[in-house]
Amino acid sequence: MTWLWYIIGVAILVVPFAAMVLLPIQRSKPVLTVYFVLFVIFMYGPMVAMAVLSLQGTSGSMTLPAKDLFSFHWYSELNSSMSVMVAVREGIGKSLWLSLIVAVITAALSLTLGMAFRRQFRGSGALFYAILLSLMTPGLLLSLGLSFLLYYAGIQKGEGALGYVPIIGVQAVWALPFGFLVMMSIFNRYDARAEEAARDLGASNVTTFREVTLPLIWTGVFGAGLFGFTLALNEFERTFLVSGTINTLPLQLYIITTASVLRPYVYSLGVVTILLSFLLIALFLVVSGVTGRKTTRAVEEDGSGVDTPSMTPAAAGGD
Amino acid sequence: MSNEDAKHTALEEAKRAVEEAEALTGGSAVAVHATTGPRRSPLVTLAWVAPGTIWLLLFLIAPLVMIVLVSLWQKTPVGFDPFVFTTEGYTKLFQTPVYLDTLKDTIIRALLVTALCILIGYPIAYFLARGVSSIRYQIALFVFVLAPFWVAYVVRIVAWLPVLGRQGVINYFLVEVIGVRAEPIDALLYSNFAIILALVQLYVLFMVTPIFFQLATLDNAAIEAARDLGATPAKVFREVVLPLSLPGVLIGCIFVFVLVMGEFATVRLIGGGTIQSVGTLVYDYYKLPDLPTAAAGATILVAVMTIGVAVLLRFSKIREVV
Repeated sequence: MTWLWYIIGVAILVVPFAAMVLLPIQRSKPVLTVYFVLFVIFMYGPMVAMAVLSLQGTSGSMTLPAKDLFSFHWYSELNSSMSVMVAVREGIGKSLWLSLIVAVITAALSLTLGMAFRRQFRGSGALFYAILLSLMTPGLLLSLGLSFLLYYAGIQKGEGALGYVPIIGVQAVWALPFGFLVMMSIFNRYDARAEEAARDLGASNVTTFREVTLPLIWTGVFGAGLFGFTLALNEFERTFLVSGTINTLPLQLYIITTASVLRPYVYSLGVVTILLSFLLIALFLVVSGVTGRKTTRAVEEDGSGVDTPSMTPAAAGGD
Repeated sequence: MSNEDAKHTALEEAKRAVEEAEALTGGSAVAVHATTGPRRSPLVTLAWVAPGTIWLLLFLIAPLVMIVLVSLWQKTPVGFDPFVFTTEGYTKLFQTPVYLDTLKDTIIRALLVTALCILIGYPIAYFLARGVSSIRYQIALFVFVLAPFWVAYVVRIVAWLPVLGRQGVINYFLVEVIGVRAEPIDALLYSNFAIILALVQLYVLFMVTPIFFQLATLDNAAIEAARDLGATPAKVFREVVLPLSLPGVLIGCIFVFVLVMGEFATVRLIGGGTIQSVGTLVYDYYKLPDLPTAAAGATILVAVMTIGVAVLLRFSKIREVV
């Protein structure tokens, strides 16, 4: 029977690809639609399974079948006085604070880099690739290298004067490319004429930036900060070797998961972090929608506020 | 507005839209040198450039340089001695068959995951870019597909446990619901199969996103023109769609390959300690502590990644010429 499963598995992978290559889009669309649904199940299925199992009653276990659904028992367990839970709550508290700091730093660095890249400068290409490199460096390597650096410089990891600096450092490096790209997109559709007008009227550089530029781009800065917050909150591998005794939420989760006995509160904790992340994305979408409306009123056609990766009617005018 | 102006605006517009969406997703990026800003003195430029540059030097470049340096320094009981130069770490690794085997396994795994990500991710990106006609739905579906990227990576790994376990969802369905198997499959969790499955799920979005952006900017007129000239759908795909989407595929491949090569947590949590990657080995040496050997392992990893990326870029150059 095993061979049958292999054939089914290969068919699921190959048939949509073949349909895409061999058929015009109108004909391959039904196949691709089904495939897309399967893909969504693949992406969300494990999380849904986790969510269902997190809603079990007291007798619930880590595996199926789910027992006495639906109860919030394992969620209230998160609030209990068990030492694991105390540590988790401490982790959440630390994570939120750290993420807030990383958010502010990411926003500030994205803003300055965004301003810098409005004009070409010597080394702009190299700097651009350095920003991309932070997206591409595996977290473990970054963590490892920084922990060497700390050892070399004689800086103590963990709670202490400088203990939080490396964590903030790597988390902001991870969030920076995202925030930077947000700023790039803001500046790419930014109308510099208002700035010129202010300068023509005799405003200084500082005044122009404060009174004209910043009010126009603050939603982008806020968006960059939100990215920083979400990414820092969920960051694990980069933080792993530089945190010392400071256990952020993802680190706590890792510790719990690698411990011997797992209880369904692991799932409820996972669900809580998922919901928090989704809430933050929703917030970002709302904010970027606001920016979209404000700065692209002239080219905005459908008023959705979300920009689309397609040619706008301006393209038609070019013929 | 003259024709030239209009074309220019249209181009800018398309570029901007792509960037924005990319920013939202952390997907690929195209180097853009915006010239929207006013002229400014070098000092002002320096002021804008400095904070980010210093941060990147301190927390990105210096750590990477440090890995290479430490790999050449002498081991001490708790750390390393920067005044004694040695290649002991490398010799130790090359004399450990486990390391070489693991390196081989890790490379094969990374290549396999990258291939699977193309196979799975391309049709998804194609469907989103060309199969969804309403732009509103397109964006909505794209955000929906992308949302898991923002979920904590550890949580996404943990979520596989109830699916793959001996009494997990898959086995439950096979044994209890469909009844095709009398006994649950043990090999689901803590196996190479499980690791690859989880890795594909974790990293496929790095493939879908850049391909999607390439395909979304694809001009429908080009496809229609090819069709009007009598090209078969297969030929249209091979001659028009595929070449135009290759940069996206390439960027996706680089992301997936490099990130999977450096994988640590997925292998540890889903492999259950029995399966190793270079990442877990490096971590084991780090814990010993044998920092120079860990650094040597990491340096070799970086070298392999760089070679991989260079090969990919080379391959793309060849494609451009042909």
